[in-house]
Amino acid sequence: MNLTSKEYMEYLVLAAKKIDDNGNYITSLDAITGDGDHYTNMQLGFSKLTENADEFALLSLSECFRKIGMTLMSAIGGSSGALYGSAYISASKVLMDKETIDTPLLLEILSTMLDAIKKRGDADVGMKTMIDALAPAVDVFRDGLTAGIDSSSLFEAVKQAADNGAQSTKDMEAVKGRAYYQANKGVGHIDPGAMTMAYQIETLMDYISEL
Amino acid sequence: MKKIINEPANVVPDTLEGLALSDPTLVYSKGFEVISRKERREKVGLVSGGGSGHEPAHAGYVGKGMLDAAVAGNVFASPGPEGILEGINMANNGKGVLLVIKNYSGDIMNFDMAKELAEMDGIEVESVIVKDDVAVPDSTYSTGRRGIAGTIFVHKLAGAKAEMGGSLAEVKDVALKTIENIRSIGMSMSSCILPAVGKPGFTIEDNEMEVGMGIHGEPGVERTAIRPSKELAEILVSKILEDYDYIGSEVALMVNGLGGTALMELYILNKDVHELLESKNVKVYKTLVGNYMTSMEMAGCSITLLKLDDELKELLDFPCETPALKL
Repeated sequence: MNLTSKEYMEYLVLAAKKIDDNGNYITSLDAITGDGDHYTNMQLGFSKLTENADEFALLSLSECFRKIGMTLMSAIGGSSGALYGSAYISASKVLMDKETIDTPLLLEILSTMLDAIKKRGDADVGMKTMIDALAPAVDVFRDGLTAGIDSSSLFEAVKQAADNGAQSTKDMEAVKGRAYYQANKGVGHIDPGAMTMAYQIETLMDYISEL
Repeated sequence: MKKIINEPANVVPDTLEGLALSDPTLVYSKGFEVISRKERREKVGLVSGGGSGHEPAHAGYVGKGMLDAAVAGNVFASPGPEGILEGINMANNGKGVLLVIKNYSGDIMNFDMAKELAEMDGIEVESVIVKDDVAVPDSTYSTGRRGIAGTIFVHKLAGAKAEMGGSLAEVKDVALKTIENIRSIGMSMSSCILPAVGKPGFTIEDNEMEVGMGIHGEPGVERTAIRPSKELAEILVSKILEDYDYIGSEVALMVNGLGGTALMELYILNKDVHELLESKNVKVYKTLVGNYMTSMEMAGCSITLLKLDDELKELLDFPCETPALKL
């Protein structure tokens, strides 16, 4: 598995579509625990990436990730924009002078993104946020890679971990963000930010499995 | 959804362009969604901002004696750091910039990022966080108390201090003192509709109200049958007085409409709040009644009290001239 900016942008176009296809579902989740705008804001950000995909595909990986970060930051806005922006900008530093992303480097990127999101959001696992989809995916990725399991099983396991992680937010009490204001802290409902994070990881794993 | 709009995706730029056309002293930075003052003079710059949908907050408070720049995000979503950085640049006249941030996760992250960027450019930036909504318990671990209509008093008093020539530290101190002495609580009777979503975010029965609801429709503390204005005044004022002692003090009072409630009703509530405060030995020094911090077309109101001393009174009485507040 080797990704350049071109493949990474192809993946993001697919992720944009995945988010778009599930727009009504995401909005319905956010209407319960937030203020109903998570999908529309994510859509603004990811459609900007789709528009710029051909242009960004020509950049070095590091510059490509930096541009993705800046785009998401200004187009999504809100918490998600700041968090995805910070994630991609941190990852762009890891990618300095790298020409392709292989499997170990992809793990390092996801792990760097997780750290950046935790730091920017002053949040951790178990607070009913996007971290609850990303963190278990990174853990499973690391364990699988260390254990040396084959690529297709590894990618499938990471994908499952992200989805299970998003589903697990259903029972969690929110600590950060708007769901915190709910009388029951959003218990009983999946966090929309965790769901859209899981969609991205799922799409990425499916995409690299096909390469 | 019935709204006077064009493309839902363009509501923010269309709003700001319309506002700028209504006031020749303002400049609109398109693409950054910043409204700032045309006239630049050597003083501390005051910048605020946040999600759109709360008009006239915050762009309506840009002008003499209040903000130097306001940054607008998408509806109910914080602006990104690039826009905020533009706001800082437009407000920076060499004496430093103070950011007035409402306490929401997204706003804090984005303003912090913009502050870091501005500092790299050599601009001195300080920030304060407004958390006046007593419907939510204060907390350092969680997101904690929200910032709502009390923010307008922070703009007013810190803005006056800046206009009078105060240093960045002095302007920040005034903002912190105002925040310390301010409490608010809201009440909602209907949902608002996000232009990009097209349908109400929640439902509330015709005969119901929700006490303590946030300005983005965040749940309140109690959903109950609608009450006469006198009883509503009692409910809201007692929530504030439980949280902070205003008895025996002079206060500034704001009776704020959320956008969908007639001024007639706000005046009725104001009468009842005044009578109630008088009976509790809280002296109202100044009153503002109007739509200052809204949730688009949401029906409802909020009450804000600010405890005053001589310093804050002088700042409150200092003239200001903005599209939404002229004193």
